[in-house]
Amino acid sequence: MAAPARPVGARAKTGIPVLDDRLKGGFPRPSTLLLFSDKPTEKRIFGENFAVQGIRAGERSLYVDFFRAPQLARGELKRFGSGDASNLVLVDATSSQLLLPSRERYHIDDIGSLENIRETIITAVRAEKPSRIIIDSMEFLVDRFPKEDVLRLWRELIEVARAIGAVICFLFINWTLEERDLQEIRGMSDFVVEFQSSLRGGVVRNSMRISQMAEAGIKTNWIPYTFKDLIGLTVYFPRILVTGPFAAGKSTVVKALSEKSISIDRMGTTVAFDYGNVNITGIEAEIFGTPGQERFEFIFKIFAREVSGVLLVIDATHPDELPRAKQMLDLVGPRIPYVVLANKSDLPGALSSDDISHRMDLPQDVPVIPTVATENRGVREALLLLAEMIIGVR
Amino acid sequence: MTADAGARLQSVLAELRRLPGILGVTIARRDGILIAHSLPKAMDPKKIAAMAAAIVGTSEMAAVEMGLGSFNQSIVDTHVGMMMATGAGEEAILVTMLRNEANMGLIHIGVDRAVESIAAILRPEEVPA
Repeated sequence: MAAPARPVGARAKTGIPVLDDRLKGGFPRPSTLLLFSDKPTEKRIFGENFAVQGIRAGERSLYVDFFRAPQLARGELKRFGSGDASNLVLVDATSSQLLLPSRERYHIDDIGSLENIRETIITAVRAEKPSRIIIDSMEFLVDRFPKEDVLRLWRELIEVARAIGAVICFLFINWTLEERDLQEIRGMSDFVVEFQSSLRGGVVRNSMRISQMAEAGIKTNWIPYTFKDLIGLTVYFPRILVTGPFAAGKSTVVKALSEKSISIDRMGTTVAFDYGNVNITGIEAEIFGTPGQERFEFIFKIFAREVSGVLLVIDATHPDELPRAKQMLDLVGPRIPYVVLANKSDLPGALSSDDISHRMDLPQDVPVIPTVATENRGVREALLLLAEMIIGVR
Repeated sequence: MTADAGARLQSVLAELRRLPGILGVTIARRDGILIAHSLPKAMDPKKIAAMAAAIVGTSEMAAVEMGLGSFNQSIVDTHVGMMMATGAGEEAILVTMLRNEANMGLIHIGVDRAVESIAAILRPEEVPA
């Protein structure tokens, strides 16, 4: 039996801060997650990330891998960052199939026997007391054994995990089960995480959505994400548009948000666009600043596609520009989340947030944040707020 | 299928980059999002993609305003070499950076061929992968 790992917090963090915030600190312990997708790799990335984030937080993770040799799995898990490798417990299901001796402590010797699979996993869970368990994956079992037996094992694993206070993730692609069975499986889970990919104009976009099964539970929008070596999963916004009327401070906002940015400007006004790449607390975003003057509106149109969200920058000392600001919002299109940055809020005569909200006739749920972009005040908060709105939780 | 399209675009870029005098090549979407690139380490592919989209968008508008017909290519000519931004189908732009010593005849043939391949690779998609 292994030494107990470091005591764990009440919640299992995903390692994506903005997501953990939405989940009130992470997934509760114990809980059951169903990682569901129509393609194999997507949900595995989440499962792997979840396992490694646990290890990085000093917890112990148990990974049951029906598809990969343990050496390969260990190698691939390293891409998510490093931690104490002894806290990663692998249940080896492949060596016996290849007639190789297993180097892992736990190995399934007869892959044709559900009983042997069951016993090996449960023994490992009881002995190691991991705080995170990943079963990769249930469709492997559903394809090979009678449905009732697999569902019974499924329920038993949930119980065993619950008894030790662990979060257990089941990876599952449905090929053969009927909707009725799927409903049952969803009902056994506390959270369902769905994954999807789409291809538009030669660019692949991945997104995920988290739904808590309990009534009035958490439900997010589709959250775009990307994978980064040694960091793991990151929320990724391919385009945040920074727009607003002339001389409101859009370029300064882009500059304040990003470490490295470019601005194509002449005589102090943006003639083409500003661009910056932002990395903060588990979010990566590409920030595009548009010109404010009407004669450059055609440039605006080039960049106003596939926009995740908008930071609308206005000059709080220039109420006469507010109608123009609203008009620019219309150019982006409806249903795109936006936050209003009341910039230059330190100058005399600056309107209050409420005043701006009233004059622009903004919906109740649109935040107006006072900012001083030249001093980097309020700007980052506005972006985080926008990120939360895009991710959405209800 | 997506991985396949990506690999095919990379091989188009690799072939073009083999021509003497070429410094780097990038495929960008017309709205400034990077699709694929083969560039020296020092260059930021995302910035180049955004800039190319702005150059092409501006050039297209200028061509329309000036009654010069539809857009083919923008060229930025410098004392070191050239940047060519060529339309590749409805969605994409091929950015080619080259030195002044490059053989322009060969380059033009290579770019034309690459543009056709890129347009063909990106055409039959738009179905969710």
